[in-house]
Amino acid sequence: MLTFLRELTELKGPSGFEDDVREYIKSKIEGKVDEVFEDRMGNLIALKKGKTGGKKILLDAHMDEVGFMVTNINEDGTLSFAPLGGVDVRVILSKKVVVGKDVMGIIGYKAAHLQHGEDYARIPKYYELKIDIGASSKSEAEKKVAIGDPVSFTTEYEEVGDYIIAKALDDRGGCSLLMDLIDDGVDANCDVYFAFTVQEETGPKWPVILMEQLKADMVIAIETTTSGDDPELEKYLWSTHLGDGPAITFMHRGYVVSKEIFDKLVETAKESNIKFQYKMRTVGGTNARRYAMGGMPAGVVSIPARYIHSPISEIRKDDYENTFKLLKTFLESE
Amino acid sequence: MSNFTSLDTKELLLKVTSIPGPSGYEDEVLGEIENVMKDYSNECFRTPLGSLVCVKKGKGPKIGFFAHADQIAFLVTKIYEDGFIRLSGVGGWDPKVIASQKVWVHTKNGKLRGIVGFMPPHLQTTEEYKKVPDYDHLFVDVTMNPNWKEEILIGDLVTVDTKGFVNGDIVFAPALDNRASCVAIIKAAELLWRMNIDAEVYYVFSTQEEIGGSGARSATYISEIEYGIVIDVTHGDEDLPGFPKIKIGEGPTVVVGPVTNRKFVEHIKTVAGKYNIRTQVEAIPGRSGTDTEDVQFTRNGVKTSLVSIPLRYMHNPYEKVCVKDVEDTAKLLAFSAAELQ
Repeated sequence: MLTFLRELTELKGPSGFEDDVREYIKSKIEGKVDEVFEDRMGNLIALKKGKTGGKKILLDAHMDEVGFMVTNINEDGTLSFAPLGGVDVRVILSKKVVVGKDVMGIIGYKAAHLQHGEDYARIPKYYELKIDIGASSKSEAEKKVAIGDPVSFTTEYEEVGDYIIAKALDDRGGCSLLMDLIDDGVDANCDVYFAFTVQEETGPKWPVILMEQLKADMVIAIETTTSGDDPELEKYLWSTHLGDGPAITFMHRGYVVSKEIFDKLVETAKESNIKFQYKMRTVGGTNARRYAMGGMPAGVVSIPARYIHSPISEIRKDDYENTFKLLKTFLESE
Repeated sequence: MSNFTSLDTKELLLKVTSIPGPSGYEDEVLGEIENVMKDYSNECFRTPLGSLVCVKKGKGPKIGFFAHADQIAFLVTKIYEDGFIRLSGVGGWDPKVIASQKVWVHTKNGKLRGIVGFMPPHLQTTEEYKKVPDYDHLFVDVTMNPNWKEEILIGDLVTVDTKGFVNGDIVFAPALDNRASCVAIIKAAELLWRMNIDAEVYYVFSTQEEIGGSGARSATYISEIEYGIVIDVTHGDEDLPGFPKIKIGEGPTVVVGPVTNRKFVEHIKTVAGKYNIRTQVEAIPGRSGTDTEDVQFTRNGVKTSLVSIPLRYMHNPYEKVCVKDVEDTAKLLAFSAAELQ
């Protein structure tokens, strides 16, 4: 277990630029499943045939992470950029980033000494920030980067005690669970499709494509979700709590989870004594909604995480393990 | 490799910025600097305030080079039962740049991991969305350390854990204010060690500049110097109304103004011209915000000069300097001492 998470989180894959992640996953799962294919839009799908077949279950984890795109190369050699997905501007100041394949730079921010009065007391806008790659002119920068290049965070994966600290745990955590399930061998009656999907963070739309292709009977979106269990939020506002096991969602933005799937997940956890929690807030969305809109009932199971959508997020290993157990038990009962 | 000395400037910059050395806790980084400097000095010692002084003996006039070695940091001000702490800055931080950084909490038994957490957009209310980060709301998550409860105490130091990197001739790293100047002095010392000069040179790596504690003053007192060059950093590539833009990559600035001695400044400018070292002019009509004033008004007074390395993003977890500027600064220092009669 957790064989792939380090490499998965350290790969660069902002929405629309999932190629490295897809190639990595593909190389690791080939030979372990009955079929692997990539669709027109870049989704990677693996099929593990069941003992009896007939019913099809699809597990969805998105490969992309929040990041940025270069929008302009300025005269002074700096780069203007805009977010791919929801990134609060307050978490990106003075962070190391990689532009394109391997150009290192930082998101620079004016020295405190030079911010006067009102400037010091306000949150900067994206258009005011620049990436500094050390180039001193536009022509020098143009030799290394181009408008439209992706920009990723560079946080190194780290395990400390029972915790994992990394970038992009949302949703490489989900990808990792799918890979670990494939590795471990799922002994199910039904056919299981493992779908590693693209562009969730920029507004989920690709599940529609998958639905046309696969016509699954049931979908579970495997996510890494918010927690808020820190001193900045009163307990009643937390969405999950680290250490309490996988979060099972009953409803989120724009979607009430299929009652049948929700109940089944909860029953499975209870019967097998797997520690779990209900997601306590209905904020945020997942791919489940898009599947449901296309007529495929979908559930959501998530690893609780702190500080997602920032350069540095955090999960607990036992939560990961319990999420794995819940999914495996669930699949093997179908 | 540098073209005039054997120590690689980039490697030195990465090395000395990789060691945390907050004001009052400069021992480790000064130890590392001393290891390098002992090859280029006749004598190294520490002042009562902890500054490192290395000396190249000589029979002529006494000159000192001063760079502060401390950096800005944080202190633990509050510890919550569930494994979170709050901070306060030691030195001039902008709290806006520390969200989502990895940090080290320095306890008496070693350093522990921390991360400055930030509420994801999904959970923010309209009000939270508008909050400018400050010490009342920023927090450090230390729950991942199994022993945080036993080890972390109020008052423990916290430093941001960023690692420097090189991009061509540019270095991005923490604490380049003022380790870049420390490196310039090391390089100058290496150069002077091979030269036969009259002057006696004091290389001073001082403590507690960032909190106004000036370890430089006591070092000045002890060394009884006649000339002092303070090396610090200045804002590069920024528009300052009423001043010329100081450019990164175009050499150190030589400061003119009341904190410097006009004749000594002229000497430095002449040396720059003679040895083809690029410099920029920086006018400071008032206080310099450096150790220069303290050096100037010690004992019977010291003929001071202030040389600054252009640096961008000062006091942020990543600062930026040009390697060539650091090397030019070293040359300027070395030849300024060598030409003193």
